[in-house]
Amino acid sequence: MHRSFMALFVAMLALPATAQEVWQVSGFALMRAASAPVSGPLGRDPSENEPLDSETLEAQVQVGIDWLPSPMYGAHLHLLGRSDNADTRRGTFGIAEAYFDANFVPNGDRLRLRGGAFFLPTSRENVDALWEPAYTLTPSALNSWLGEELRPIGVDAAYFRGRAVVGATLFRGNDTFGAVPVARGWQLSDHWITLGEWVAVDATDFTSVSAETDGRLGWSARGAWNGEDLLVQLTHIDNRSDGRKYGDLFNWNTRFDIAAVEYSRGDWTVAGEYGWGPTFLVLDDGRKFGNELAASYLMVSRWWRHGRATFRADWFDVDDDHRRALTAAFLWTPPGKIRPAIEVTTAGGEQRVLLEVRYSFSGG
Amino acid sequence: MLRPLALVLLALALPAGAATIDAVVRDARGRGVAEAVVYAVPEGRELPPARKTAVMDQRNREFIPHVLVVQSGTAVNFPNSDDVRHQVYSFSPAKTFQLPLYKGTPANAIVFDKAGVATLGCNIHDRMTAYIVVVDTPHFGTSGRDGKVTLPNLAGGKYAVRVWYPEMKTEPSPIAVTVTGNERTEVSFVAR
Repeated sequence: MHRSFMALFVAMLALPATAQEVWQVSGFALMRAASAPVSGPLGRDPSENEPLDSETLEAQVQVGIDWLPSPMYGAHLHLLGRSDNADTRRGTFGIAEAYFDANFVPNGDRLRLRGGAFFLPTSRENVDALWEPAYTLTPSALNSWLGEELRPIGVDAAYFRGRAVVGATLFRGNDTFGAVPVARGWQLSDHWITLGEWVAVDATDFTSVSAETDGRLGWSARGAWNGEDLLVQLTHIDNRSDGRKYGDLFNWNTRFDIAAVEYSRGDWTVAGEYGWGPTFLVLDDGRKFGNELAASYLMVSRWWRHGRATFRADWFDVDDDHRRALTAAFLWTPPGKIRPAIEVTTAGGEQRVLLEVRYSFSGG
Repeated sequence: MLRPLALVLLALALPAGAATIDAVVRDARGRGVAEAVVYAVPEGRELPPARKTAVMDQRNREFIPHVLVVQSGTAVNFPNSDDVRHQVYSFSPAKTFQLPLYKGTPANAIVFDKAGVATLGCNIHDRMTAYIVVVDTPHFGTSGRDGKVTLPNLAGGKYAVRVWYPEMKTEPSPIAVTVTGNERTEVSFVAR
C-alpha cells in the first residue's frame, strides 16, 4: 500500500472528536478469491475479450474522506488501493473521486453544484457510499463499464423539486470513453478507474478518464422521477471526442443513453437499466469506424434482516456480437463490520465463483 | 352494577370540550390532496413544547413517512433500516443539521424546536427527500388520498386552522374557528 495513503489514513483516524464531526472517514477493506485462473480464458489478457475477468486473489481498500463543515457545502475524496493492477499503468493506488459540493435553496427547492471528478449518479446498482454495488459483488456489464471508463471531471448541476430531479454535466477528459466495450469487450468487474490511471484495452492501446487530448468538452443530462415505490430515470452522455489517436490513447466519440427503472416494495427490489448508443473512431485515412453499443440488465433482490440475495440477468452487445450473463449473489450481513459474500456468474460458457470478506470501518 | 359505574367514570374522564374539526384539502380541480398537513393552533393560549419522540425511518432508499408532522420540541430519531449507508441532512431554516454517514440508529435524536418545515435529503442518494413539518400545537393530522384530516379532542376556544402540503407555493389563508362542546366543525382548503 502506498505510504502516503496509509499516513493520511492514520492521521484522519487520529483526529480529535470535534474535528471528526467536520471530517468523516469511512470505507472498507476486502479480500476476494475467484475460481477463475490468472491467465487463460478468464484471465486479464485484453485480447481474450472475455466478460468474466478477475485475479484468483485480490484485495482492495477504499476510503472516503468527507469534509462537511455545513450542510450547505462540503467536499469528498474517494481513495482506492488494490492489488488488481495487471494491465494498468498507475492503477495500484489513486483517487477515484474528488469534488466540492455547494447547495442552494431557490424557492424552497434544492440546487446542488458539484465540481471535480465524480461518478454520474445514474446506476441503480451502485447505490451505497463510494459507489459500491449494494446487491452483488460485481455490477452489471453496463455499470462495470461506467465504473471503469467514465468519470466526469467538470461541473454538475442538479435541481431537486419534490419528487423530480434534473441534472446536467459539463466535463473534460473521458475522450476514450467507448474503447473498453469495443476494443476489449464487456466485462463484469469492479475496477473503478482512478485519475491518472491507464487501463489496457488491447495489445497497444489504453483508456483513461483524465487525459484530455482533443480539448473538447463532453456533456451529460439526466432526469428522474421518484414515486413512492417507483423510480424512472433517463440519462444522455456525449463525450464529443474527436475520435483520433494520441499516442497510446485512441479516442472514441460516444453518445450513450441510459433508461432505468427501479421498483422497491417491502423487502423486494426489482431494477433494470438499458443503455444504447453509437461510437466511432477516425482511421488514419480519415474514414470513420463505428459500432453500436448496447447493454442492459434486469435484477431481482430480496433483503432479510441479516442477508441479501440477488439474481441478475445481463445482456451486452457490440454490433452483432451478443453476450449474456447470469449472476446470483448472497451477501451475509450479520451485526458488526464483517460481511462475507458469495457470487456465482456464468457468461459465454464460462463460470466464475467469487468469495469475499469485507471489513467496513466507520459509517457502518 | 359495575357497568353503569364504569360508564359514569368514563364520562367524567372525558375532556370537558371534545370538539372535532373535519378538514379537507382539495386542489383546483376538486381532487383530494394527499400528504397535506392540517393543524389547529389555539389562539391566546401558549402551549408548552412537546416532550415527545417521533421516527423518520429510511427503507429502500426512501424516507418513511414522506411527510412527518411533529409538535415543536419533539425529538426525532432517524433509524437507517437499509443495508446501505445514508448521510441525512437538512438545510432548512426550521432545522439545519447533518448526520454523518451511518447504518443502524444514531445515538442521538434531533430535537425540532422551531415551527417550520425541514426538507430532508441524503447526500448519497439523490432520490431521497422528505419533509418534517414542525407545528406549535398538538392538534394536527396528515391527509390521505381523499385529502381529509380529522382533528379530534379539541378543547373549547378559538383556533387558527392552517395547512401545509409538499410543493406548496403560497399558503392558503388560515381559517379562524371557534369550537364549543362536542360539536364538529368542517373547514376546507384549496391547494394552489
